[in-house]
Amino acid sequence: MGKTIHVKVFKYNPAIDREPGFQNYLVPFEKGMSAMDALDYIYQNLDGSVAYYDHAGCSLGICARCTGKINGKAGLLCQTAVEGDVTLEPVNASKVVRDLVMRRGETRE
Amino acid sequence: MAGADFTLDGKSLNELGREGDTNDSMEKVFNDIVTQGYYLNNQKLVEQYVRSAPFLLKDLMDWGLEIKLSDQRMIFTSGTHIMDVLLKKARSAGVDLMQDVMLLDLVTGDGAVVGALGLDVHTGEFIEFSAKAIVIATGGWHKAFWPNTGMRDLSGEGIAMAHRAGAAVGNMEFITFCCNIMLEPPMWRGSLAPYMLSLICGGNLSNKNGDNVLAGYDPFIVKTGTGTEWNKSFISHATMKEVRAGRGFANGGVHYSRGDAPWDYMKMVASFIFPGWKYKAMDLSEWGRMLEENLPIEVGPAVEYFEGGIIVDERFQTGVEGLFAAGECALGAFGSNRVFSAITEMLVQGRDAGEHAASHALKRPGQAPALKVPGTLRERAELPLNRKDGVAPAPLRRRVQETAHERLGPIRNREELESFIAFLEDVKSKDLPNMCVALKDRIYNKEWIDALEMGNMVHLLETSARSALARTESRGVHFREDHPCTDNDHWLKESVVEFSGGSFQVGARPVTITSMSPPSGAVPYLDMMKRMMEAHSDTGGKH
Ligand SMILES: Cc1cc2nc3c(=O)[nH]c(=O)nc-3n(C[C@H](O)[C@H](O)[C@H](O)COP(=O)(O)OP(=O)(O)OC[C@H]3O[C@@H](n4cnc5c(N)ncnc54)[C@H](O)[C@@H]3O)c2cc1C
Repeated sequence: MGKTIHVKVFKYNPAIDREPGFQNYLVPFEKGMSAMDALDYIYQNLDGSVAYYDHAGCSLGICARCTGKINGKAGLLCQTAVEGDVTLEPVNASKVVRDLVMRRGETRE
Repeated sequence: MAGADFTLDGKSLNELGREGDTNDSMEKVFNDIVTQGYYLNNQKLVEQYVRSAPFLLKDLMDWGLEIKLSDQRMIFTSGTHIMDVLLKKARSAGVDLMQDVMLLDLVTGDGAVVGALGLDVHTGEFIEFSAKAIVIATGGWHKAFWPNTGMRDLSGEGIAMAHRAGAAVGNMEFITFCCNIMLEPPMWRGSLAPYMLSLICGGNLSNKNGDNVLAGYDPFIVKTGTGTEWNKSFISHATMKEVRAGRGFANGGVHYSRGDAPWDYMKMVASFIFPGWKYKAMDLSEWGRMLEENLPIEVGPAVEYFEGGIIVDERFQTGVEGLFAAGECALGAFGSNRVFSAITEMLVQGRDAGEHAASHALKRPGQAPALKVPGTLRERAELPLNRKDGVAPAPLRRRVQETAHERLGPIRNREELESFIAFLEDVKSKDLPNMCVALKDRIYNKEWIDALEMGNMVHLLETSARSALARTESRGVHFREDHPCTDNDHWLKESVVEFSGGSFQVGARPVTITSMSPPSGAVPYLDMMKRMMEAHSDTGGKH
């Protein structure tokens, strides 16, 4: 088996959960992968419940809808390279719809 | 919307204050669009395109459009800028806009459209819209393929729902694959950057054996097919030939490198289209280094534009009363191959469709008809939420997308199309009725969105595959290995697919001709491509 990385994802549904938590996933590493590539792998292979904004995104750094914090630093999930273990959070946990998806018009800190 | 050029005739462009080309004319543009489409165009819609384009550009400029550069027939700006200009205008005109709302199905009554059911994907709540007229403008269905050029939302619901409501669709087999799309690394997969750079600067495409992919083709085809927007159909075809012969690389593409193109020139062009090697938020500086050192990157064709779509008349009305369609979702002006701008198409059609829809609505007095959304529509939408176990939508989606890319690419044959249709039949009978999402609550439920889109994607893939199977010739962006000639005697007609009683009827109708008579005879595909390239008028530029 090739190299794998630990991806720690913020999980929270404000309508149900008392407080946010994190979920850990083991993801195969591919050189030149983005945080969104890691999330795509998780969503397609490990956990269909994970939420991040992609249903109307461009994944090419143009629409800027997939903002998030990658190891504590704000950026676009689709254009931030992942090089090892990584933690993914929303830019502002108090404006979360679910997991990494923020309320409309509030994708900034 | 991702694109950024707007085309019109050079004379009108000159009159609008850019250089353009005073020797150009609307007739020449008409000639060029029809020959680029291999005469399969609806010539009435080509006329509408050519006539309306200058007015639309003037409107955009009046509304604040900034032009970055222009050539004889084109102005170039960014797609997001065009969107900003349009949104500002729409807001100032009092248009209500909703975001992250997905239309699921149309509601009809007495043969006319009376509204639609939508879903707010953030809350998971249904929304009912009642309407006297509806314009479908949902674009293409890129999401049915992987890789694609970046569109994650375009799954063709609009075309599929119009089809279910009784509108016919046509020319669904014609799908433009943009050439030279980045296939590696994963973060850049789907990017048009090499397509743009190679169109302006050239470069080298090589296969696994190190051979030039374009060697051996007619020099005129290579020149036109690399230096103008004919590149999409020609290079995608040539690339797929290599890949299918086992001479491609790991991601199903070939290698692009700078080749003989001078580095200083390329650097200058890049500094203009990707300032600081940044393509919006994409940091391409590593690729810049690779180009300087003449190192390759893997590129290949990926789905970019759909020539076919919902059949409309010159008023952009579909076969269903009150239902209009415009832009990429409609069967438009481009026949079997698009070289001119789709953004122009979107704008000229959108404006006219809107006007006709408005006058249709005004003719129906009183309030919009009371809407009775059949309970079954909601129940059907909720099935994947309510099922206890079954097929997970996300891996199914990826399997369908990858199979579509493989089987419905620029090169097809009977055997592969038949096996693809059998695959889709299987998905329809075994997987679609059993889709089940892991998480049962409705708030931003990605799996639920995927599940709702899947049926539409499979529906359109089937219309396309069946049309491609029926069209026993090669034309434009549709090449059949087993029928390698353009057959002007039997196939100068539009394919039509109707949907009733849950099944597809594939037929055809004559091409709409106004002034340019089509050729006759059967001509080998590349010879026909050359003839269509040679028929271009004397105006320069990329179109
Ligand atoms: C990467 C790329 C680059 C391109 N570059 C160029 C270029 O340089 N020049 C050019 O002329 N053309 C270009 N094109 C093509 C051009 O952008 C499109 O043809 C054009 O944007 C189509 O316009 P449209 O309004 O018909 O559809 P779109 O612009 O695709 O818009 C459709 C809209 O409908 C929405 N929608 C879809 N389904 C639903 C639903 N069920 N409910 C609610 N909303 C829905 C979508 O979210 C989207 O906002 C490019 C295309 C791609 C993919």
